[in-house]
Amino acid sequence: MENRPLSPHIQIYKWHISSLVSISHRITGLINFFAITLICIWFALMLFGESEYQTIKIFLESFLGKFILIGITWSFSFQMLSEIRHLIMDLGYGFELQTTKITGLIVIFGSIFLTILIYILGRGII
Amino acid sequence: MVQLSLPKNSEIKKGKYFKDKTGSKNLRKVNIYRWDPSTDEGPRIDTYEVNMDNCPSKVLDILNKIKNEIDSTITYRRSCAHGVCGSCAMNMGGKNGLACTTPHAEIEGDIDIYPLPHLKVKKDLIGDLDGLYKQYQSIEPWLKNNSTKETTEIYQSKEDRAKLDGAYECIMCACCSTSCPSYWWNGDKYLGPAVLLQAYRWIIDSRDEERKARLKKVADELKLYRCHTILNCTNACPKGLNPAKAIAEIKKMLATANV
Repeated sequence: MENRPLSPHIQIYKWHISSLVSISHRITGLINFFAITLICIWFALMLFGESEYQTIKIFLESFLGKFILIGITWSFSFQMLSEIRHLIMDLGYGFELQTTKITGLIVIFGSIFLTILIYILGRGII
Repeated sequence: MVQLSLPKNSEIKKGKYFKDKTGSKNLRKVNIYRWDPSTDEGPRIDTYEVNMDNCPSKVLDILNKIKNEIDSTITYRRSCAHGVCGSCAMNMGGKNGLACTTPHAEIEGDIDIYPLPHLKVKKDLIGDLDGLYKQYQSIEPWLKNNSTKETTEIYQSKEDRAKLDGAYECIMCACCSTSCPSYWWNGDKYLGPAVLLQAYRWIIDSRDEERKARLKKVADELKLYRCHTILNCTNACPKGLNPAKAIAEIKKMLATANV
């Protein structure tokens, strides 16, 4: 009896939009936690004067720096939209299967759209 | 606790291959999880080539066909074959459902059949649901009304009766609870969608007088609030019910009512 195997679970279960948005919500939450810490450190470093500011600037203009900044922008956008979705659900709305699919897709594509929008606005392209 | 990999004794190996003997051209490969408690071997996946020419439309029909014509040792639960009893709940094509109401045409490619996820397997496709039944018992799923005599009829308005729609139809097949990642990781404490839907069913019953006590009982960080609206439950329910919404309603009641 002790030796009964455990039936497979996450290995075999099919993903769908809601479960993807849910797990991404948690991952972006974790990323944001570290991102805010990082941003705080950057701000603190600026207090040390111009040379520190230059170091940060050079880093942020490098490929890795840009990747991190765009990544953080996406992560914040995703978390924000997903949180709005959660708020609506906490009010008891949007639980119909079709609706959850649509709101889930809005979160996924909305976060990409917001990232691009913020990039364009930030760069002063329009 | 979150555990992504299976324990050592649960690792799945490739099993036997049953080649088609009918010479039919219309074949489908069916992969079925097998585990025999009478041997020391671990679980395996057996593959069957099934002649689909004279096979009716549901996954249960395939299983019956395999049991009758190819391999009689395969074990699974089934009873009514009409989506009413909930016995043949299993994981087909990566999704939980009732084998008797799931059309095999909806599954693309090879048909993978596993027991309900994250359960102790009793044999082949049969998982152990004792834990879930104990949790069901813990919410005391019966009418509690002390102010009316047992022999008197308790009236209920049409509106109050309508509140039970979408909750009383549950057949306790466990498709929802065993589809829920939160229930996989915290199944010993978190009540899971099936039991919470039933808790909700008794909380909103206008004839029940223990509403507050019932709410208080589920108002627990682990029992209730492990629901993170992943919505696997609502996606899996073969009766088209919405356990996720019921859980949200309980949370809402707790947030607004003075319990």
